[in-house]
Amino acid sequence: MAAADVRDMLDLPAEGQARPHKKQKVVEKRPEGITRELYALLGERAPPIAINENKYKGRPKWMNKLRVRPWSMAPFTNNARSDGLVLNHWQRKHESARPPVPAPEPAPAESQMEVDKPKEEEKEDVPKLPEQEYAFAKYNVKPRLPRRYTDDEYTRHLTSDDWSREETDYLVDLVTDFDIRWVLIADRYDYQPRMDTKPDSNALVPAKHHRTMEQLKARYYNIAATMLSIEHPPSEMSSAEFELHEKMLKFDPDRERDRKELAALQLNRTADEVREEAMLLEELKRITSNEQNFITERRELYSRLEVPISVGNTTMYQSSAGLSQLLQTLLQADKSKKRRSILGDGAIPSPAGQTPSTAGGLGRAETPVTQAANKKGSITSKEPNQMVRTLTSAEEARYGVQHHERVSAGVQFRSDRAQRLTQAKSNVQTQKLANALSELEIPVRLFMPTERVCKDFEKLIQSVNMLLDARKVSEKVESEIRVLEAAKMERERKSREAAGISGPSADPEHPHVKKETEDGDTGLLGHSTAPQTTQGNGVQQGDGNHKRSASVLSGVSDKSNKRQRR
Amino acid sequence: MNPSNPPQAAEYGGDEVSAIVLDPGYSTTRAGFAGEDAPKSLIPTYYGKYNADGQEKLVFGDDVFVTPRPGLSIHNPIGKDGIVEDWDMAEKVWEHSFMSRLTGTKAGNPFQNGLNDVSADELPTEMEVESDEKPLSDSPLLMTEPGWNPAKAREKTIEIAMEKWDTPAFYLARTGVLAAFAAGKASALVIDIGASNISVTPIHDGMILKRGVQHSPLGGDYISSQIKAIFKANSPQPITITPHYLISSKSAVEAGQPPQAKYKTFATDKAPDASYRALLEERTLSEFKECVVQVWPGPTRLSAPSPTGVSNEDMARTTPGRPFEFPDGYNQVFGVDRFRAVESLFDAKAAIPDPDSSFPPPTPAQTIPELVKASLAGVDVDLRPHLLANVVVTGGSSLLYGFTDRLNHELMQIFPGPRVRVTASGNTYERRFGSWIGGSILASLGTFHQMWISKKEYEEHGPNIVEKRCK
Repeated sequence: MAAADVRDMLDLPAEGQARPHKKQKVVEKRPEGITRELYALLGERAPPIAINENKYKGRPKWMNKLRVRPWSMAPFTNNARSDGLVLNHWQRKHESARPPVPAPEPAPAESQMEVDKPKEEEKEDVPKLPEQEYAFAKYNVKPRLPRRYTDDEYTRHLTSDDWSREETDYLVDLVTDFDIRWVLIADRYDYQPRMDTKPDSNALVPAKHHRTMEQLKARYYNIAATMLSIEHPPSEMSSAEFELHEKMLKFDPDRERDRKELAALQLNRTADEVREEAMLLEELKRITSNEQNFITERRELYSRLEVPISVGNTTMYQSSAGLSQLLQTLLQADKSKKRRSILGDGAIPSPAGQTPSTAGGLGRAETPVTQAANKKGSITSKEPNQMVRTLTSAEEARYGVQHHERVSAGVQFRSDRAQRLTQAKSNVQTQKLANALSELEIPVRLFMPTERVCKDFEKLIQSVNMLLDARKVSEKVESEIRVLEAAKMERERKSREAAGISGPSADPEHPHVKKETEDGDTGLLGHSTAPQTTQGNGVQQGDGNHKRSASVLSGVSDKSNKRQRR
Repeated sequence: MNPSNPPQAAEYGGDEVSAIVLDPGYSTTRAGFAGEDAPKSLIPTYYGKYNADGQEKLVFGDDVFVTPRPGLSIHNPIGKDGIVEDWDMAEKVWEHSFMSRLTGTKAGNPFQNGLNDVSADELPTEMEVESDEKPLSDSPLLMTEPGWNPAKAREKTIEIAMEKWDTPAFYLARTGVLAAFAAGKASALVIDIGASNISVTPIHDGMILKRGVQHSPLGGDYISSQIKAIFKANSPQPITITPHYLISSKSAVEAGQPPQAKYKTFATDKAPDASYRALLEERTLSEFKECVVQVWPGPTRLSAPSPTGVSNEDMARTTPGRPFEFPDGYNQVFGVDRFRAVESLFDAKAAIPDPDSSFPPPTPAQTIPELVKASLAGVDVDLRPHLLANVVVTGGSSLLYGFTDRLNHELMQIFPGPRVRVTASGNTYERRFGSWIGGSILASLGTFHQMWISKKEYEEHGPNIVEKRCK
């Protein structure tokens, strides 16, 4: 079980084939040099130390049949030398009599060059090998130097006040000797002016004129550039040549000297200076990394601003609670950004003011301008308005453009305004309005408070209010009628009693009353506050009224619903 | 890759022409065949001279140490500054170095050389025929020289090689360059701590920069003189070194107790010269240097206070001492003294004064840090950082315990800006024979064979050719 767990943890394949393999008995080969009996005594486990002797492993037998490849001490000359010095080295002796044994394994050659071998084998048939070129001669390379000047050329182009002909010759010799390695040339430069040529100026010429590397370079580059341009005029030079020529002409010894002085200063800094420099470098690194961070953060911010306005589901922000939550989260995000002090100067614009202006993917630099424009309000905002083409009413409706005569300060929600309409002065009235709306199956809080829905809602509420008023008046009138009728009946009863007739006249009274209430109900939109004579009838009537009025008004509510859906 | 197979010649560009590399130093002379990894023949440059039967006789090689012959005096053909003084003897010592082990009598054809024959008749005649030949007639010779070798000495060297030894080709290379080659570098700052000299040699592209070559006499012999001064001022009793040849028997004594030994005495006419004793004392001292002497590891000097406030010398006192037993049985544990013996290589003020010493007190300019500073001041600015990043330490005395660490610290203190990297082989042989190994590499390169000065060229141009060719 444990093994299975471990396998599981290490993602190893489940044990399947490994197990039986393990159980196979490992039959160890008996090492040579031990008798079978002794080996049997050892049992299964071999001793930790080797008990057999290490024997020299000779060459394989098949190798004994091979012929030993002969080597010989052979003289050779080196083409890189001019004096034809003959030295000796060991070389594979060439056998012409029989084909060489095909031995691909290269001999442990010390003096035999691999380069030579293929040549040897190619020329198998030639009895005497022609003189081969020494393999290392090809490494004898010299840099290409410009042609040495002639006397005439020197006097015409290269005379200098500072440099005598002899010293120039010495310099060019040295350059050739040291293959233009200036470090060495400057190190070995030790020109002694010959006294016998100018015996008189002996006193004038300083005994030892020390030349710096820059002086030597300047002189030599001057010579080389001149020689180059004598050979090929600059107009005929190849691009590489011309580049070289330019480079040599432009050599500035003073600048080079200054550079070296700076380099020496840099090299000879004290430990404190080095430490300070290290500290400054560290600081610089920190600053650049901070800047990098800043840039990446800013880029992130840009990308966030350039995201198109979300057209997704906004139902969660429909309620004021949802909205306030959104506001809270935005504020939170703002604060946390500020706390990180990346945009410490409060450059984060509020998302509400920012979205429309930068939605077009404008650069960062534009934001302050648009912000300023927003703040200044109408003065600056008129200018863009003039540029905007005028919209037709249909387009206005389509894009939801509106013109307000008087705009109150602050942000208002249309749904809030609609909400306010449903609030009457008295609670009773409010209740009544609510009842009317619920009868029409219109929610108190509109689902989709668009401009048109709100307008219609407003109209609806107005008419409901009117109807309620009308009903109130009618009720008043009815109650007056009832009082008066009761008084009349009272009077009739008294007169009947006085006349002696009683009772049965109650039946024909009912249909009359009922008829009356029906009439009143059809006029009213409203409620079961229908006139009630008796309790039981009143309840029945109320139900009936309900049904009827609902059926009557269903057309209206359907219409409003449709509008809402639109 | 199978280590038993040598690398292909094309891989390392080698082409061996059985050249002999001769690296003469002040203390030892090294000789061997090019292409080998260590010199086959290592003999002291000192030679002995004595009179026997009215004839002056000479002793070369390790034989000088063995027998205290009557009147045997020890000499060195090379001067204290590493330049040959006695050319005749130098030639003989050098000849001995390769004749004794490398060339000797020439091997003839194995069918005729007598080893396979029973009859011994032909043997003596053949030997005589061969003895006419000059010793190096079929081996090119690569010799080394210090960087400050004057032109005259160089010309004399090629003269000996060409005329006395009859070498077919000759080349004279600087020890610094070869030590850099042995470390695998073509450009380096070589710090060579030898027996008589310490030298700093800047190398660029396999050539020395003459203006940067610096040397001072604070080598192994100077350290020996400092140790002697310490022995003289030793606290329980001054220590005298009695070489082995003067001891007939000794018995073990406690540390710090006077030795109990029986001494050999020589009659005044039988006794060897004082220089013989000095040579053998020197052997004991070099043993002492190997076992006891230690370089204060730094980073600050021994006399300076350490960062913790305790002086470095007190810190050194707390480290356990090292015992050493002298040939006469006297033994002692050496504490802080073992650091003081070499401190003056880095700090001239720390030198132990000794009026009897043949070495004048060192000047600050002779210390290693100052030599390096002066050497770098002599080379181009652009080269200095590169040289500091390739400091090669070589020479037998640089094997002093803790030397490279201290050198590293000192260099870092002088040059805090550029990167300092000290290269010192951990192999004792590579450190002692650095220049010989470099010569062995150089003389076995196929591309080097165009640089030999051939006999023909020598005959054409004379000895002056060495100045032109061995730049």
